[in-house]
Amino acid sequence: MTQAIASAGRGTRLTPSAKRTRRITRPLQYIALAAYVVFLGFPLLFLLITAFKTPQELQSPNPAFLPQQPNLDNFFAAIEKANLIQAAGNSLFVAVLTTVIVTVISLPAAYALARFRTMLRGIATGWILLSQVFPFILIIIPLFLVLKQIGLINNLFGLVLVYTVWSLPFALWMLQGYVSGVPIELEEAGSMDGASRIRVLRSIVLPLLAPGLVATSLFTFISSWNEFFFALVLIQDPSLQTLPLTLARFVGAEGQVQLGQLAAASLLATIPSLVFFALIQRRLTSGLTSGAVKG
Amino acid sequence: MRRKALLGIGALAVAGLLGGCAFGGGGTATSSTPEGPVTLTFQSLAYQDSTVAATKEIVDSWNADNPDIQVDLVQGSWDNVHDQLVTQFQGGTAPDIIHDESSDILGFANQGYLADIGPYLSDDVKSAVSDDVWETVTTSDGKIVAAPTLLQTYVAFANTDAFAAAGVEVPTGDELTWDDLQADAKQLTSGGNFGVGWGLKQPTAAVMNTALGFGGTFFDVSDDGSATISVGEPELAVPEKIHAMAYDDASLDPVTLTQSGSDVLPGFLGGKYAMYIGGNFLAQQITESAPDGFNWTVLPPLAGSDGPVQAANPQTMSVSAQSKYPEQAAKFIDYFMGADNQAKLAQGDWLIPTSSAARDVVAEQTADTPVWAPILATGEDLSGAPFQKASNYPQWKDQYATPGLQQYFANSISLDDLSKQLTDGWDSIG
Amino acid sequence: MTTEATRAMVSERETRAPKPPKTPRRKSLGNIGRGGREAWLLVLPALIPVVLFSVYPLVQGILLGFTDAKAGLGQVVTFNGVDNYVKLLGNELFWNSFRIGLIWAFGVTILQFFAALGLALLLNLDIKFRWLARTLALVPWAMPPVIIAIMWRLMLNPTYGPINGFLRAIGLPGDTNWLGDFSTALPAVIVVGVWAGMPQTTITLLAGLQNVSADLHEAAAIDGANALQRFWHITLPALRPVIVAITTLDLIWNFNSFALVYVLTAGGPGGQTMLPMLFAYNEAFRYGNFGYAAAMGNVMVVVIAAFLFFYLRSQARSRLS
Repeated sequence: MTQAIASAGRGTRLTPSAKRTRRITRPLQYIALAAYVVFLGFPLLFLLITAFKTPQELQSPNPAFLPQQPNLDNFFAAIEKANLIQAAGNSLFVAVLTTVIVTVISLPAAYALARFRTMLRGIATGWILLSQVFPFILIIIPLFLVLKQIGLINNLFGLVLVYTVWSLPFALWMLQGYVSGVPIELEEAGSMDGASRIRVLRSIVLPLLAPGLVATSLFTFISSWNEFFFALVLIQDPSLQTLPLTLARFVGAEGQVQLGQLAAASLLATIPSLVFFALIQRRLTSGLTSGAVKG
Repeated sequence: MRRKALLGIGALAVAGLLGGCAFGGGGTATSSTPEGPVTLTFQSLAYQDSTVAATKEIVDSWNADNPDIQVDLVQGSWDNVHDQLVTQFQGGTAPDIIHDESSDILGFANQGYLADIGPYLSDDVKSAVSDDVWETVTTSDGKIVAAPTLLQTYVAFANTDAFAAAGVEVPTGDELTWDDLQADAKQLTSGGNFGVGWGLKQPTAAVMNTALGFGGTFFDVSDDGSATISVGEPELAVPEKIHAMAYDDASLDPVTLTQSGSDVLPGFLGGKYAMYIGGNFLAQQITESAPDGFNWTVLPPLAGSDGPVQAANPQTMSVSAQSKYPEQAAKFIDYFMGADNQAKLAQGDWLIPTSSAARDVVAEQTADTPVWAPILATGEDLSGAPFQKASNYPQWKDQYATPGLQQYFANSISLDDLSKQLTDGWDSIG
Repeated sequence: MTTEATRAMVSERETRAPKPPKTPRRKSLGNIGRGGREAWLLVLPALIPVVLFSVYPLVQGILLGFTDAKAGLGQVVTFNGVDNYVKLLGNELFWNSFRIGLIWAFGVTILQFFAALGLALLLNLDIKFRWLARTLALVPWAMPPVIIAIMWRLMLNPTYGPINGFLRAIGLPGDTNWLGDFSTALPAVIVVGVWAGMPQTTITLLAGLQNVSADLHEAAAIDGANALQRFWHITLPALRPVIVAITTLDLIWNFNSFALVYVLTAGGPGGQTMLPMLFAYNEAFRYGNFGYAAAMGNVMVVVIAAFLFFYLRSQARSRLS
């Protein structure tokens, strides 16, 4: 009975009165959905439009909504002026390296946390929560000094180190949720067949963890790619700036604001992660969902 | 007893952790004679395309002539130069040659971060700049911690067609009094158009600089940088005038008071504002984005009861005390200060060189651009102001002066409230 | 069906819900001694950097809040007990910024919760264009906060921003400087904060919704419960743990946020959007008072921790009762 209802889906077994209500609520739902789409999507659309306008159009007191002579000048100017290529390279370097390191060191740790219920688990959980509570201002000053002593200020490796340490707790938490989701019987069955433990882990557990690893590394990648505060304090050399820093400085002093270029630069800086996101969107939603539920 | 011991240990630990290694900065480097070529970093804040190009040109020509002292140009930003320098000095990563402005650097000088470059500057450079301006970069114990380069003044730009349409004569002469400005603005206001647009989002610098025209000095500074404040009639004359134009006469668009200069520019170019007040560097933007057939000029210097005086808050070039080669760095600054170089930079930004020799060069080179003459004229009447020497000025500016002035210009507090906020604020910083 | 019955079904359903099998895992705990050592070995590569570069600096940061550390060449740092806190008590600007921080954090969290819940409910329906809304809901997450701030600065620009353009087009006064006006700056910044944080909250709530039993809804619908009743008696109770978790996290994140407002307004106009993090940043990196800034950080931690303690405790209690 229950199963029948579930497989029939929700729409088919409505009473006449429910159908009537539905005729009223459906349009309302679409109106609400449209409102959300506008709220979420319009700023992006506007950014896109601005990026294609000429300075004269932007300075005009009665601007038209759509660009009159769409062209790519703003993009070229932004790339040249804001040093976008170099900044994107720096951002990519830091984000990729951080992601790799975090994944490599959190995988064994997550396995340990999920499989061995020692006191470590309690400590780790506590730290994960704590690390969310502390304002960065408390950490940044001493961290600055520590990094200075080991010569990692104004250095991309210093940034990698900081991002690794601060995205580790959350990555660990997500990942151990995925490990818990892999039935331990599989491992036991494997070892009974005589396979070594390492082999069991590599050939049975790891493939099952793949979606979880993707979600975790995406999370790490995005938080490092987006990070601003640590970079603001730790990086001073313009040739080492990451994208968010370059863009924040591109906003610039009074009189400097070139809106078209600013919009173009922002768009360029967003496209890589948007594409990345779109590609694995479906996977991500399900990955995050299961991670959230199990975590 | 035990608690005391614990506290003692804690204090020791902290002192050891922080004092020993970290908060000393990089330590003062002593001047050394290098073997082989040295490389210096120069953090420039130039941002308009024209000035960036001029700066690069100067550095390139220096590098070509001085194989032993190579200068590496890096780009900073006016927006966060102060925070960035605090961090750079703290981390020992400050550039050798530092571009900033005089009201910002004396605090750093008092903290010991800037080298005395007085001994290294040539007589030509020293004599080309007036003593008044040198005063703005000299500490109380006589160290010259920067070379002053370019000056900004506040000027009124005018849309001459709007003046003609309203039948108002475009002011000429040696000065334009604030009262005349107000009267003209009133006549130019009609039908949704305003006499004046003034992007005063960051009002403090403008108010401090123009207050001098009424003899408003705000501070009385003693040798160690501590100061007492007095806010009276002369200090508040300009804010009161702005307020009256915005809210009594409705000849100044109050919305512009919350915007930046470049936000207001489209309104000026589009005819909404007949006059546009702001830093003279905005002239570069006007020339870049004015539509064809837009006729504009620069009005004579704004004058208060004490004449057309404004505070000189020059851009500066300093040498970090942490630099290994202060002498070489100062040599570059000396070259940078040369009349031709300064003239090039000044024209890029439409700013006024501190050096009289450079001003002459600019006057000669811009003979066919009539709007340059009144801009250069405003530079004759610049003098040092006490606020530049008050150590806590940057904090007072951020936390009290700017919010107070913004509130007053939004018509949400009275002049008395403003005066009280400015005074109490200063006292609370101590 | 009575509400009691519904509730009974909920709890029954909860116990029936498939959960990771527990018994086998218990069995593996037999060799806990060896497992303990192994666990340490596995955790070590993660542990070392965390201790060196976050626990150690954090402890130092807390201690720094009890010193007079300042910028300056060759400054000597001394321990000054609670001086910073006494001074902080009388610092009106700091408490004002604290108040702004609370308005911001609660404002964003609450508005975001309702907006995200509405969106999650829509996305959970079988509705056309769901893919579009779902993709768009993820977009803010793919954008660095700095870019979100830049984009909204363009949106809210008084002269050429489309928001004022729209207001003018429908005949309303369209010259408000949203980010520059004293009365609108904080609300405008809060709206941007809501926009920026939509993805995390929506996805989490959606995940929670997808775990609410459909059977239960059907049963209740057959018993004549309307949509609102079903939402109130079935969906909401089942969603409760997720709601508590995400609002708590949102609140902490918002209270500690920096980049968005730093680029949007830098705390202006007149300190109207000066969040505590910005205030402390200025104290440290503009005025060079490192010890004093760390003391502000300590106060922020204590306040957040106290709030979390009471919030989570009251939630735990009401769940038990």
